[in-house]
Amino acid sequence: MTSPLPAAGEHAGEDLLASYAAGTVEPVVVWSVEAHLTRCAACRGALSGHVDQRRLARNRGVLLVRVAIGDGGRVHRLLRRCGVPDHLLRLLAATPSLRGSWLLSVIGVLAVVAGEAAAFRHGRMPGAGPAIGYQDPAVLAPFLLVAPLLVLAVVAVAFLPMFDPASRLAVAAPFSGVTLLLVRTVCALAAALVPVVVAAFVVPGPGWLPAALLLPSLALSAFTLAAATLVDPRAAAVMAGGLWAAPALLLATSNAPLLIVQHHAQVACAAVLCASAVVLLIRRDRLEMGWKR
Amino acid sequence: MEAMKTTNVRTAVVRADGLSRRYGAVRALDGVDLTLGRGITGLLGPNGAGKTTLLSILATVGEPDAGQVSAFGLDPRNAAERVEIRRRLGYLPQELGYHRHFTAAAFLDYVAILKEITDRRRRAQEVARVLAATGLEDRARTRIRALSGGMRQRLGIAQALLGEPELLILDEPTAGLDPEQRLRFRELLSGLPGEPVIVLSTHQADDIAAICPRVVVLLRGQVHFTGTPAELAATADGRVWAAGERDPRAHLSWRGGDNRWRHIGEASPAGAELVAPTVEDGYLLLSHAADAR
Repeated sequence: MTSPLPAAGEHAGEDLLASYAAGTVEPVVVWSVEAHLTRCAACRGALSGHVDQRRLARNRGVLLVRVAIGDGGRVHRLLRRCGVPDHLLRLLAATPSLRGSWLLSVIGVLAVVAGEAAAFRHGRMPGAGPAIGYQDPAVLAPFLLVAPLLVLAVVAVAFLPMFDPASRLAVAAPFSGVTLLLVRTVCALAAALVPVVVAAFVVPGPGWLPAALLLPSLALSAFTLAAATLVDPRAAAVMAGGLWAAPALLLATSNAPLLIVQHHAQVACAAVLCASAVVLLIRRDRLEMGWKR
Repeated sequence: MEAMKTTNVRTAVVRADGLSRRYGAVRALDGVDLTLGRGITGLLGPNGAGKTTLLSILATVGEPDAGQVSAFGLDPRNAAERVEIRRRLGYLPQELGYHRHFTAAAFLDYVAILKEITDRRRRAQEVARVLAATGLEDRARTRIRALSGGMRQRLGIAQALLGEPELLILDEPTAGLDPEQRLRFRELLSGLPGEPVIVLSTHQADDIAAICPRVVVLLRGQVHFTGTPAELAATADGRVWAAGERDPRAHLSWRGGDNRWRHIGEASPAGAELVAPTVEDGYLLLSHAADAR
């Protein structure tokens, strides 16, 4: 039982202040006490002696942590509003290839190869002569070679353990390694495809070129993941790179670089994508890291 | 002694039977049998003795070539049981990598998500708790690249404490800590609620003597001693002596701060001034005997 409410001109009793600080008084009494506290400095001073300092320190600590973690910036807020869970976005923040520096590098390389092709088309390269247009397919060869490889590089950096400094912690944690890896891969793939598709619009190629780059990029990424269930992930990424670079270079030297994204190649990419999806489905447990050599 | 062994077996939470692991021609673990009960167990051994390999297997990160491990009656070879062990695990790897651009709080938040603490409020409370426990509450907003080596080590310990794990595996937790921080670390471990199973590796015998009721000495991939620190020290009874001069009969000799020589050997010479052995003396004798084999 707490001491009665303070009458006009009196102070609140010690018992009442202690109960108020502990949060054990009725709401009606809380209002009365707070009304009294607003006009009584002596009781405010007496109240501070009843406040649990440890609890205050804990609350201050939590507040500091929330400030230190922040809300993740504009993109983070926007995606959260779109329904993406906050914790998934936080996990993505640790993906190296989703950092600005990596994406800027990708854009830089694309700008060089796409800019070179565009400059050739408009006859602005020294010795290029008059405008030659994309009818001269050699102009497109560097871009066609590099663009899907860049997507592959971004995806590989997103999931290779060697690029995650805290990968051992991720292995020893209960969060599903497969989910983590797939979320990172899909986001890296999406982030890399945007500049690649934009560059495909800029280069002097056929109108269908941006769409034609999607399937090879998807196929190479899926192949890398699927191969990583069978061999070392680094070897898988190198194999995927070779799978693209070898025919792209071969066709470029045969003066037919566009063939790498045309009909037969698209069918081949679709086949690789389907086969990789099947392998991934069957062997997805092998993507779970830890407890294996 | 026999009674103590029986007690340990009865209360064993983690059990390893005949663990072996090779890295090429190097035999890192060679038939290790181990039981861990509630409380702190110190794993003592020189560099290259197999401590890190053993702890990574107990933490479900590595897999043995032969032998079995179980924790809480769960078998890490089974994927679902492995995840269940990880839910109860806190692990500090020897070489913990950090996302250096993260703040201390953001890094802990990331690890908390990996530990399936997805609720934002609970995560902030948990991060604040472990920051306070490791004395890093004022560093919540500091980027990891700006933290000193000792602070990073404390951050590593903090992440292991997230989620109040029942099994805490700490690989060289006191490396890089100054004497005061080591003292705080000992206090921290002794005050953990719920009496978790703690195993920590070190090559510093004074850590063992100060906080570990139980010690396991690992030499060249084999367990050479299991018992209390006092029992380890007692293995050197009558084999440690002090003298004004260096004694050529001793296995090991060094001059102490008092300018007198301390000797360890198979048996003290007649008339030698016997001194009370320490945990380090017992460990050094064991280590010497293993090297001589």
